[in-house]
Amino acid sequence: MMILRIILNKLEGTGKKMIRLSEAPHGRQLRIVDVQGGEGVRRRLFALGFHKDDLVEINSQGILRGPLLIKNLTADTSVAMGRGIAHRIMVEVVPDEG
Amino acid sequence: MRADSPTVILLGQPNSGKSTLFNAIAGHKALTSNFPGTSYKHTHSEVNIEGRLLNVVDLPGTYSLNPSEPAEKVILSHLFQERPDLIVNVVDASILGRSLELTLELLELGFPMIVALNMVDLAEKKGIQINPNTLEKRLGVKVVPTVASHGRGLKQLLEAASFCLDHPCLATSPPWSGDVEEEVRHLADMLPPEIIIAGNPRFTAIKLIEANKTFCLEVLAEAEPMLKSELDLAKQRIEEKRRAQAYEVISAERHHLALKLAEESSRVRRGKQLRWDERVDDIIMHPILGYLILVLIFLAFFFLIFKIGGPLEGALLGPLAGLRTLLSGWLGSGLLFHLADGLLQGIGGGAAIVLPYFVPLLFFMAFLEDLGYLARAGFLLDTFMHRIGLHGKSVSPFILGFGCNVPAVLSTRILESPRDRAITSLLIPFIPCSARTTIILALVAFYLGPVWALGFYFFNILLVAVIGRLLTLFFKDPSPGLILEIPSLKAPSLVTMAQKTYLQLKSFVKFAWPLLVGGSVVLSLLQFLSLDKVLNAAFSPLVVHGLGLPQPLGITLVFGFLRKELSLIMMLQALGVEYKNLLTVISREQILVFTVFVSFFIPCLSTFAILWKEIGKKIAFLSVGLSIAVAIAVSLLVRLFF
Repeated sequence: MMILRIILNKLEGTGKKMIRLSEAPHGRQLRIVDVQGGEGVRRRLFALGFHKDDLVEINSQGILRGPLLIKNLTADTSVAMGRGIAHRIMVEVVPDEG
Repeated sequence: MRADSPTVILLGQPNSGKSTLFNAIAGHKALTSNFPGTSYKHTHSEVNIEGRLLNVVDLPGTYSLNPSEPAEKVILSHLFQERPDLIVNVVDASILGRSLELTLELLELGFPMIVALNMVDLAEKKGIQINPNTLEKRLGVKVVPTVASHGRGLKQLLEAASFCLDHPCLATSPPWSGDVEEEVRHLADMLPPEIIIAGNPRFTAIKLIEANKTFCLEVLAEAEPMLKSELDLAKQRIEEKRRAQAYEVISAERHHLALKLAEESSRVRRGKQLRWDERVDDIIMHPILGYLILVLIFLAFFFLIFKIGGPLEGALLGPLAGLRTLLSGWLGSGLLFHLADGLLQGIGGGAAIVLPYFVPLLFFMAFLEDLGYLARAGFLLDTFMHRIGLHGKSVSPFILGFGCNVPAVLSTRILESPRDRAITSLLIPFIPCSARTTIILALVAFYLGPVWALGFYFFNILLVAVIGRLLTLFFKDPSPGLILEIPSLKAPSLVTMAQKTYLQLKSFVKFAWPLLVGGSVVLSLLQFLSLDKVLNAAFSPLVVHGLGLPQPLGITLVFGFLRKELSLIMMLQALGVEYKNLLTVISREQILVFTVFVSFFIPCLSTFAILWKEIGKKIAFLSVGLSIAVAIAVSLLVRLFF
């Protein structure tokens, strides 16, 4: 719990609003700010081309709180991602141009 | 492998078209073999290219060369043992930035290498024009644009390969950002010669920095305490400066360099525009429409196979029966007739009953696979898989299981956790493979009607779910979440689909058909010697009293262990009737019970063998016990309710 509180405090301290990918709006451009989680999961995400600063977009989702379909706009690839994993990816919404 | 012919290894990310390329240049006489000591498969072939004999090897697709992933470690160690004379890195041009990450990692190896810039047609359709010359300059190795599915660029690729076998084409990896590069060089300079992998200090240094804790670092700490502390210092400096783990920094270096190289060597002609595949994807991945389409695809799949197979079977059976009557006229009823009859039943049964359903099934499986639908089904069905304690990545092995359980068990390798692999592998033998589909279509659909067969499938899938739910009660550790790449949709090429069907068909004709023929002949001989009665009497408590089937069917169930279709073919033989007159000796209920029992009662010999090899003896025997119990229980239920 302590750790969680520290993380939350840190998040609030930063200028831009960080949200979890699992809670991010659909169809908007999002920038990956941090990839959290265990080493195994992080390595797998890196191997699939998901890194900090990449632009991603949520394209679809399975029914009954199914997985999210995430398109990586930077690498032009799509990945189906369970909510547990999307929960560990922190993103910020990129403001619309114009 | 012959020492005198140079070895060329094809390497690329999954879905880069690597196997299509391999089939196009070397597929016609390809052999599949295991990596020594493992059951990981690779395909190799000897090809004669302009008078030079090449040993071409197709390795499984991989995203990276991370030695802590078992599958990737096998690839790495194969590379070191084989010391290929040339690596052909197959790259998906339509996602160049993404694909070049593996290319950069391969360049670090320092082996001779060329790049096949594959699927340039797809890239052009996306509005991306890649200049191979620029890319060639940036990467420092030859780059040849290809479209493997249409055979485009293959000649140039082979010429480049030939050139690089005669001239040095050693790869060097482009440098990274100053600070990381400096640390890598610093460490590389300190490495004692005996720990340098593949004669390449830079490669060794990189692998040491990005290795995870478990990988050989403890050994290093003992053998070279000085080096270990230098390594830790280097990692620490990188991590402090970049505020990220060392492995993440290295991975990010490749990622950004790959994106930069891709950007420098390509030109985007059009702005962002919805392409056909994106529009199709929006529909087939839609949260509601997607599921509707999924159901429709499987219904269509089933009816098409039945509509093609049924009439074909009917047309082929007539001549077969005629031939049999002719034979008995010639040969009387002695040993010779029995031998000939067994042969005819085996060969004819294979041709008339199995092939009509088997070939269309293989073809449609190839279609779904090539289209890229399996991963999409995984996305859609993830929710349901969660209900039975698995996740969407198990969907693709399950769907492959409808073709054949053996490759399905092999493909469970994509699952990261041993728990998921064990559960999925235990469930796969309950998926009706093409052999069982043949039986279901030839018996249930033919005699009880297609709706019954469909109901059978539905019940079968339900059964898999129930067993899965029960199994997960025994595997406590939770499943890691789903991360599954969804490859872009590809219009399947008829040639590739035909090639795939042909290769599978060839292995059926080579391995399974002889078993069918042999089994039929053995049954004939047993019948001639009246030994079948002894065996049938031994099984009669189960077969007659338990399942309520005619006594002569006992022996056919035993043979079903060799090959599921064998039970079907031997059933006709054992009952001594023509296929068309089956209902004169057996009731519809008995047909259903027989099909249920044969479908579930034991994984066939090849599935058993692959389970043993891949997952372990325990799981293989568990699978046998489980399936016998399920088969008996379900058969009794059918008897009770019918």
